[in-house]
Amino acid sequence: MDCIITIEIGTGAIRVAAFDLTGTMLGSAKGAYPTFHAKPDFSEQDPEQIFITMLYILKNFLNEKIHPKKYSVVCLCFSSAMHSVLPIDKNGVPLGNAIAWSDNRAKKEADDLKNMDLGKILYKATGTPIHPMSPLNKITWLKNNDQARFAATRKFLSIKTYILQQLTGEYLIDYSVASATGLLNIHTLKWEPDALKHAGITEDKLPELVPVFYSPSKLKKEYQHSLGLPDKTKIIIGSSDGCMATLGAGVYGEGKATVTLEESGAVRVIGKEVLQDEKQRLFNYLLTEGNYVSGGPTNNAGSVFEWYAMQFGDFKKAFDLENCMELLIDEAGKVPVGSGGLIFLPYLQGERAPIWNANAKGVYFGLNIKHEQRHMIRATIEGILYAIYSIGKTLEEHRQIKSLSVNGTYASFPFWTQMMADIFDKPVHIKQGPGSDSVAFGSFLLSATEIGLYKNLEEAAETVELPDSFIPKQQHHTIYMKHFAIFERLITKLSGEFESIAELQQDS
Amino acid sequence: MQNQFLLQRGCRELELFPHIIEFAFKKINTIQFDSLKKESSEFLRIYYIVDGRFDWVINEEQYILYPGDLAIIFPGQRFGAEKNFLDIGTVSWIHLELQKKEYPDQLFMGTWSRLTDSECRTIGRILSVNNSPVLSRIKEAGIIFQTMQSEFINQEIGFSARINQLIDELIILIMRQLSKQNTSRRDFPQTFMKLEQALRENLSHQWTVEEMAVLVGLGTTAFSEKVKSFTGFSPLNYLINIRISEAIKMLKRPNINVTDIALDTGFYSSQHFATTFKKLTGYTPSEFRKKNIPDN
Repeated sequence: MDCIITIEIGTGAIRVAAFDLTGTMLGSAKGAYPTFHAKPDFSEQDPEQIFITMLYILKNFLNEKIHPKKYSVVCLCFSSAMHSVLPIDKNGVPLGNAIAWSDNRAKKEADDLKNMDLGKILYKATGTPIHPMSPLNKITWLKNNDQARFAATRKFLSIKTYILQQLTGEYLIDYSVASATGLLNIHTLKWEPDALKHAGITEDKLPELVPVFYSPSKLKKEYQHSLGLPDKTKIIIGSSDGCMATLGAGVYGEGKATVTLEESGAVRVIGKEVLQDEKQRLFNYLLTEGNYVSGGPTNNAGSVFEWYAMQFGDFKKAFDLENCMELLIDEAGKVPVGSGGLIFLPYLQGERAPIWNANAKGVYFGLNIKHEQRHMIRATIEGILYAIYSIGKTLEEHRQIKSLSVNGTYASFPFWTQMMADIFDKPVHIKQGPGSDSVAFGSFLLSATEIGLYKNLEEAAETVELPDSFIPKQQHHTIYMKHFAIFERLITKLSGEFESIAELQQDS
Repeated sequence: MQNQFLLQRGCRELELFPHIIEFAFKKINTIQFDSLKKESSEFLRIYYIVDGRFDWVINEEQYILYPGDLAIIFPGQRFGAEKNFLDIGTVSWIHLELQKKEYPDQLFMGTWSRLTDSECRTIGRILSVNNSPVLSRIKEAGIIFQTMQSEFINQEIGFSARINQLIDELIILIMRQLSKQNTSRRDFPQTFMKLEQALRENLSHQWTVEEMAVLVGLGTTAFSEKVKSFTGFSPLNYLINIRISEAIKMLKRPNINVTDIALDTGFYSSQHFATTFKKLTGYTPSEFRKKNIPDN
């Protein structure tokens, strides 16, 4: 039987999955690698460790789950986290670690550019908000702060470019990942000359641009042998994790949006038009030519709840962090909607969309003598979802959203999903069980389309079934909205204080 | 029980215990100058506070110890009272001579101990990475000291076996406590990062799963399960992953020879390295190097 293998090069792990041609998942495996923080603002990863982890996991997975059952692998399809930068020297050897998406070293570069007219022009041209995450600012940082490395760099790669180059020998970047660099003009599909000039580089310093369906040359012979894959095995360059999660959630066309709830989170839609947000609050990444994934990311989703659990969770009862979070959620369920008037701003790690304020902080507001720990738990979850809702509201200034599909680790807590339905006042769909990983499923749909099983991605996306629905409760929505109004006003009213406290925290 | 009890090497009671340099239970009523000067010694020193408050300096760091606290001083570390004398209070201690060792972080008890060589290596490793020589509220250690003292005094049948057992027990208690301090159930990812760092800092060491588990304060089975679910790898496979990743970086630098790379990254031999490398990548190390560095 034929099968399709998807490989996600994620933020902290490689995830490999196999699907038969009807989209049934045959198995999956993951292998993690660390993120190094040499300085507080730095987030780096070892490209060789990522490569070896990928090889190891893929090889074991093939040997254990695929080869014994005589599946024939039609293609390998890749996806990866966005915004990574890996400089290589004239021999193709990495110059240090890859700079990961979450790296914040280019804060100043981003601020400076945002305050220039060029910043506005580049946002319009590239669709990527001006932020330290974008390779545009990371490369500019290298130019300004690490001249030796900058000068020795033959090319600036994405981590996926490097992995594929190791396997096939070619330096390629797909339009999806490229559209998140801040260097690609998403209207003309060419590298944006003004962005390159600002970063101090020329086109030849970047990989070659190819569509997400593109197949580079074959796997090198040595890897064919070690993986046990025949010469004819097709490689598909694929897209970014964000775009694949959106496609895999079946969000294509009018009225649909998807929410990802991992450590960080995002709300996304797919459409034919770039969303031109005057306040530069939304990103627009290319899925395929003429199809854009637009939306906004948050820094503070699961990571904030994890923080709460680690600080205040009861580890005498819980045997690990996950169990501790489950117990907390049980407690939160005992408190009425609105947490007795307690409101939480979840901006522990600054915030991206929609407020784009790196200095934003966390706040519990409205505490009174009757509040118990469980009110704080519930308020924490409500606050995280208010922040997600505020991204959704921003998107709704441009697009109508009728229903949501939700994916990611925290989507598997029904308490969260129901709360999201109530806050948004929209039905929320979720896919559970094996095959519910929407990044992998998106990559499957992309591969299946490329080998001719579907006419186009739109048709592929329509096949996504989302059986479990959460229906909004009107009376809850009304209560949430009263609280959300205060939540929004607090952000505006506190903006000056965020700056002052950030300054104090900087000094301490 | 006697308030002043001091055995020193050479005395009759210690004839059967050449490894015990000093054993004491001491109640301090008046301050005696220079009763605890800051100095280093070649012995393993363990102090337990029964009563009082003590300002001590261990390895150039200041510590305040309260009743129930215990200090463990590795051979070669400087230790003494902040003011060079013992404060008012009650303290038990034992000084042990260990066997000569090849590497500074190795530690062998000697034939009297039932701890295996590999356990001793693990203990040496814990102590060498451990930066908190003080354990707080470890009352069980006090009971062990008391029992040892009464064994010394009563000398009933089997007392020498019993005392050696008690020393083993004391060391085991301390090690388990130390390794528990290193973990937090709250944050396995962070604990794992510390382990990852320790592995990278000493990649050429022949790590065992037991050693790794102890470093993060878990039993071997629980440790392997946690690592597997967190990383997708068994602990040893995770280690091989790091080894090969580091080896690849070195292979891409032309000036290090393959045997050195193999040994530096913890493979037994260049043969072992070549086999493991080829199995995973399809290349031998030298082929891989040739493909990645053009002749210059």
